[in-house]
Amino acid sequence: MTKRLRIGYMPLTDAALLHVAAARGFAAAQGLELDLVRETSWANVRDKLAIGHFDAAHLLAPAAIASAIGIGHMDVPFVAPLALGLNGNAVTVSLPLYEALRKEALGDLADPRITATALARVVAKRRATGQDPLTFGHVFPFSTHHYQLRLWLRAGGIAADEDIRLIVVPPPFMIETLRKGQVDGFCVGAPWSSLAVAAGVGVIVHTGVDLVRNCPEKVLAFRADFAETRAEEVHALATAIHDASLWAADAASKPELVSLLAAVADYGVTTDTIAHILSADVQRTGSPVATMGLRLDPKAIVADGSHALWLYAHMVAAGQASFDPGLADAAVAVYRPDLGPPGGSPADVPETFDSILFSPDDISTYLGKLVSAGRHEPSW
Amino acid sequence: MSGKGSVERELRIAVIDKNPLRAAVLEDGLREARHVSVVRIDDTAGLLDRLRELDPDVILIDLESPSRDVLEQMFEVSRTVARPIAMFVDHSDTAMIEAAIDAGVSAYIVDGLRKERIKAILDTTISRFNAFAKLKDELARTKSQLEDRKIIDRAKALVMRARSVSEDEAYALMRKAAMNENKKIVDIARSIITAAELLR
Repeated sequence: MTKRLRIGYMPLTDAALLHVAAARGFAAAQGLELDLVRETSWANVRDKLAIGHFDAAHLLAPAAIASAIGIGHMDVPFVAPLALGLNGNAVTVSLPLYEALRKEALGDLADPRITATALARVVAKRRATGQDPLTFGHVFPFSTHHYQLRLWLRAGGIAADEDIRLIVVPPPFMIETLRKGQVDGFCVGAPWSSLAVAAGVGVIVHTGVDLVRNCPEKVLAFRADFAETRAEEVHALATAIHDASLWAADAASKPELVSLLAAVADYGVTTDTIAHILSADVQRTGSPVATMGLRLDPKAIVADGSHALWLYAHMVAAGQASFDPGLADAAVAVYRPDLGPPGGSPADVPETFDSILFSPDDISTYLGKLVSAGRHEPSW
Repeated sequence: MSGKGSVERELRIAVIDKNPLRAAVLEDGLREARHVSVVRIDDTAGLLDRLRELDPDVILIDLESPSRDVLEQMFEVSRTVARPIAMFVDHSDTAMIEAAIDAGVSAYIVDGLRKERIKAILDTTISRFNAFAKLKDELARTKSQLEDRKIIDRAKALVMRARSVSEDEAYALMRKAAMNENKKIVDIARSIITAAELLR
């Protein structure tokens, strides 16, 4: 008998595997019918999952963890049998800010350390001349977009919230706020940066992979009690997603994958845009269309505890959570690969551009290095 | 005005809704409550600054507004606003969340408000949102009935001409076909129009 699952998602390229599972019959093969419901905010996705309007959801991994460890005013245990991909974000700045960065840069703009230092000089000059601090947008307090911006700022010795304002801007409003000068830059998931570039209002200064390689993004989230009482359906959906991932990773599927994702996208997303988002051949800064290195392959969707720990460490670094081994364990417990099919080996742990190595066994050292890296005297 | 100290401070309610009609319906309803001031604000850029200025006690937001995520930042930590903000309907109150979500509204309130006042406000909001949805439904239904009428009239005219029958007879023929095929008369009318166009 076919079971029907209602699944909430945000219209981003990395909801891909849900669309593939539904459209290519991988869900049907598991006896599932997927009712994919497009949402307008991450808060909606989370709340509707929490109260049972959705059976499963495409959810920001840090949002799932935040809710599970009881920060951010939502206290519902979520679990994730697998992730839905890695990478896919980009930092885009306004044309005037890009020009200013170019003038201040002492080296290759492709290097985030160079651009962060250049940004620090822009910040200092604005302060000296009494101008308002720069404002950057990201998509949700508990998001890798937020943490990637902080990592970048830290490399320039820039204090987030003091030297630069960080605000949440819903992706559909990103381009307009950049055009109007209400933000000077943003970090957002695909396809929004590509669209900002196409609209002629911004330049991609760094793709997400320039800042963090193998960056965790969204997970397939369930309520913990649902996962317990309806374990078979959870396993079936995870299997369907896993099969979708195998298909998507096959080079022969590429043309069909690209047109499927363009068909379910909107806002004028072309097959070319999608192809660039999925391309692993990352082009450097300032190119008209940046490639994003969004990964959908089976390694990229393994719910590996080290990725949850990495996210938790960045929550602590952002001042959102306190450092506590109990919370770290709770964060890891969100990732439940045991609820899905055997997934094989996971992708490597996330790796940041600033050579601060993350070791899941020793978060406190990592945190210490992260924090002290942000404290060095700016070099202006 | 000097009260006896028990007079409640006027509650400030911010309404974030792109639909001006629904926002107006909601405002009207809330104004009837005492000691309440309602301000409607735009859901696009600069929302956080505007809210900081207003310093509302309660924020009501259309569930379809992408700006819900902006509010999450406000109540993530208290560093952006002077006072902590919480979602009123905490998870323990699932029935209230359900009702609010079904109606299409989400509410955020500042900590420390008396629960019975909040409940009254949320009840009003939910019933107003539901009333508005009903109104919209009825409007849509009336409109589609009107369109059905037009289609049936057109088909009737075609049957009258083709079969040289009266208006009543044409209608009777269509009704009989509808009954035989277990379809709505408007569907039969649509097929007649399509067929007539093909055979023209």
